[in-house]
Amino acid sequence: MSIELGHFALILAFAIATVSAVGGYAFWRSGQRIALVLSQGAVLQFILVAVAFAALIQAFVTSDFSLLLAANNSHSLKPLIFKISGVWGNHEGSMVLWILILVAFGAMVAAFGRRLPSDLLALVLATQSLLTAAFAGFTIFTSNPFARLIPAPIEGNDLNPVLQDIGLAIHPPLLYAGYVGFSICFSFAIAALVSGRIDQAWARWVRPWTMLSWTFLTLGIAMGSYWAYYELGWGGWWFWDPVENASFMPWLAGTALLHSALVMEKRNALKIWTIFLSIITFSLSLLGTFLVRSGILTSVHTFASDPTRGLVILTLLALVIGGAFALFAFRASTLRQGGLFAPVSREGALILNNLFLATAVGAVLVGTLYPLLLDALAGTTISVGAPFFDLTFGTLMAPLLLVLPFGPLLAWKRADILGAAQRLIGAAALAIFATILISALGGVSISLAPLGLLLGFWVAFGAIAELVDRSKLGRIPLAESARRLFGLPRSAWSTAIAHFGIGITVLGIVATTAWETERVTTLNPGETTELSGYTIAFDSFAQVPGPNYISDEGRFTVTAPGGGTRQMLADRRTYVASGMPTTEAAIETYGFSQLYLQLGEPLDDTHVVRIWHKPYITLVWLGALFMAGAGFLSLTDRKLRVGAPRRAAKQTPQAAE
Amino acid sequence: MLFWFIAIAVTAIACAALFYAAGSRAVNAGTPELDDANSHFRLVLAGIDADLAAGKLGEAEATAARGELAREILRLKSETGRVAGTGPAFGRTTLLAGLGGVAVLALGLYALLGNPDLPSQPLADRSDVAAQQIDIDAAIARIEAQLTANPDDLRGWTVIAPAYLEMGRYADAARAYRRMMELGEPTPDLQTNLAEALLLGAGDAGSDEAIALLRAAADADPSHAMSRLYLASVLTGQGHYDEAIPFWNAALALSTGDEPWLTAAQQGLAVAQNGGVAPANAQEAEMIGQMVGGLADRLAAQGGSVEEWTQLVRAYLVLGDTARAQAAYDDAVAAWPQAFDRGELDTLALGAGLTLNGATP
Repeated sequence: MSIELGHFALILAFAIATVSAVGGYAFWRSGQRIALVLSQGAVLQFILVAVAFAALIQAFVTSDFSLLLAANNSHSLKPLIFKISGVWGNHEGSMVLWILILVAFGAMVAAFGRRLPSDLLALVLATQSLLTAAFAGFTIFTSNPFARLIPAPIEGNDLNPVLQDIGLAIHPPLLYAGYVGFSICFSFAIAALVSGRIDQAWARWVRPWTMLSWTFLTLGIAMGSYWAYYELGWGGWWFWDPVENASFMPWLAGTALLHSALVMEKRNALKIWTIFLSIITFSLSLLGTFLVRSGILTSVHTFASDPTRGLVILTLLALVIGGAFALFAFRASTLRQGGLFAPVSREGALILNNLFLATAVGAVLVGTLYPLLLDALAGTTISVGAPFFDLTFGTLMAPLLLVLPFGPLLAWKRADILGAAQRLIGAAALAIFATILISALGGVSISLAPLGLLLGFWVAFGAIAELVDRSKLGRIPLAESARRLFGLPRSAWSTAIAHFGIGITVLGIVATTAWETERVTTLNPGETTELSGYTIAFDSFAQVPGPNYISDEGRFTVTAPGGGTRQMLADRRTYVASGMPTTEAAIETYGFSQLYLQLGEPLDDTHVVRIWHKPYITLVWLGALFMAGAGFLSLTDRKLRVGAPRRAAKQTPQAAE
Repeated sequence: MLFWFIAIAVTAIACAALFYAAGSRAVNAGTPELDDANSHFRLVLAGIDADLAAGKLGEAEATAARGELAREILRLKSETGRVAGTGPAFGRTTLLAGLGGVAVLALGLYALLGNPDLPSQPLADRSDVAAQQIDIDAAIARIEAQLTANPDDLRGWTVIAPAYLEMGRYADAARAYRRMMELGEPTPDLQTNLAEALLLGAGDAGSDEAIALLRAAADADPSHAMSRLYLASVLTGQGHYDEAIPFWNAALALSTGDEPWLTAAQQGLAVAQNGGVAPANAQEAEMIGQMVGGLADRLAAQGGSVEEWTQLVRAYLVLGDTARAQAAYDDAVAAWPQAFDRGELDTLALGAGLTLNGATP
């Protein structure tokens, strides 16, 4: 009966959400009571969807194949962790996870939002309920996860073997928390537009939600990238695949939103732009959902290639995004513009950041959608690949990274760019020194790589420069400096760490792109090959049964250039239920670099072995971890920081000319 | 029934929770509407003072920040008053109507979409039911699962191998029989079965491995009929009639007279003895003979097209009457002396080993 109770819980949550949305928009002006009812409704929605989700997990764990979803996506032999993660390794279940996170954010607003003005709270919760109703309705009516299968089959169809990985337990929940978290910003934006009121308190509320979602999204994308890297067996970590772009666009827009919300919280400026970005960011999240679910794209994410569902999602998307932008068009002019500032100021720098990020979103959007549209309208298939993105995106990012270290050193309202530049001289010198050192040591030929390294070091050292500057390191006694350093607000730390993370990621990207080496060869057990100074010996080959697969295991011994040997185990698995093969690459980390070994298909008694040496590749994800860590650090800092303006300098009389 | 009881109870609890949320015990009731904005400004002001005290702000900057704050408060005060309380009233009736809507929507929708009477069927409870209504695919999947966990389970392989064979999964069947031979003794039965799987998997072409297996089985057990039968069949198929005949005879000698393969074996023997051509039975032969005779008479009397002559030669060849086929061919060459006209006929004659009298191919 638990399955049916779960089904009922989901439907009841849908009913509460529907009535909440209608009631909320009708009565948001009426006072406290409606806000209280909606808060309670938001909490109930969360509890009910959690019950529904638990019922699905219960069915998967007990291998209850009378649940169609479990029969299609589970198998009694699967390890427990994959039985649980299999719940969202498919279209229907992942929609329930999506809704669960949506209502969890709604419940959090209800729990923490008691101090919000009642009309704002009512509107936010009504919008959140509207989204819940829309997506729960979509799930219940077009892709019901609680459909039954009678008689229950003996055994399930098993989950796509590529998804039988710990990555499935981590990547989607993180990514969804990011995507869906932006719904809060969206709801706040809609509430501001409907009520026609937006003030600093609004921004103070929106920024932490943006920060939370952005942090999760950062982790989710990094995790997805690493998962693709080790599971798909191509050894690449980013492919400019439309599915990746679908998650990257909200990240870029969310990054812009994060910075503009900062301006709004501190300085009460950029209000309308912040609202616009809130809508854009969540719209891009929805677009991502649509792109990967509609069957337009074929990838491991395409669970449902059912055109009807795609059409419904498209309609939902058009209604939500179109409605929000129509509202924006009608109401934005009624909102009061915020404070003024000089072009050279912290605000100005953040606007520059937004400008570049927004343009980058545009570039990625065009590159992602243009081939799809062309295919749909003209039937011409073109492929917009990495060269396009590398060129456009790289061109946009280079200047942004170049000016990035200046931002945090500029004062609010009006600033002194020369002063900031002076304080960055040390960082610049260090960056140039590090680049020259590495280039000289590595004997690098003339190419773009040293420039990329320079950029990475510049961003990383420039981020630290702010901390160094504010702690007055070298200008006052060391102990005093340390005291000042640790006395700095956590927001200053998080800014520096996040920017440092970007520098680290850039370094990783540049190094691995420029100096990656690869060898494809045929090997028999007992034979040896060599790559970038590493000696790889193929020790043995054996067939070993796993829990629900049979594995062809190749054991290798690697001798590093500096001596020392390690074992590597690469295997190809054939899953019993589906007969599908997967490759499990062997990855060995040396410092920040990795050796990536993949056992290919057998070829006339010998084995094709692909080996890559990827220098400093872990920096790519390490940088993302820095960024996410900075996000969490910033979230712990709930104290309001004053963005104090700089007073206008006394006008000195100009000499007449 | 129990389900509906729980469902209605859950709905009632949810509605009650919503109803009492709107009760008089409002959490922030009595908070002035502007309070939040004011509290925010107080926070900012405190922040400015704290930063000033900590030396993070200069006196001038602090003054500028306070000035900005004051301007912002003035602006907010001058804006049109608060909107709260201006909308339609949200009374108890409205709330009750809404809650009724929730209950009707939820229960109605579930009645439409749900299966309230279907119990959960976790695997642990389902194994008995399963045994009764077993279907072969699921059973095989299950045995495969067990075998993956325990590849040394001889019984499992014994069960699954013939099932594979039946399903046409010859490669899997061969794998299963091989595994059984590894786990146990290679009995003549196993060898024969593996050979059968290999033969079926490879199509008509018998592999050397299959023949070797069959020979081994036949050698190991002088009374093993099936291996001899397959061996004879493969050898016949390959055209080794002289080798095949003793095996056919041996298999027939081992039969008790009611085996299903008896007729097939007799026919096979006949084919082998006849040099690869299946002899028709008497009645059919008579009928065919009449038809062929009719065609031969007509062609001899009136002549005919090359196609008709070809048909006649082929008919004699099928009947195994090489002498008449040769005669008919010679007549045909006489009727159509140009080799150019007899393309197909000459090919047929060459293939059947007829003498191309007077004709240059």
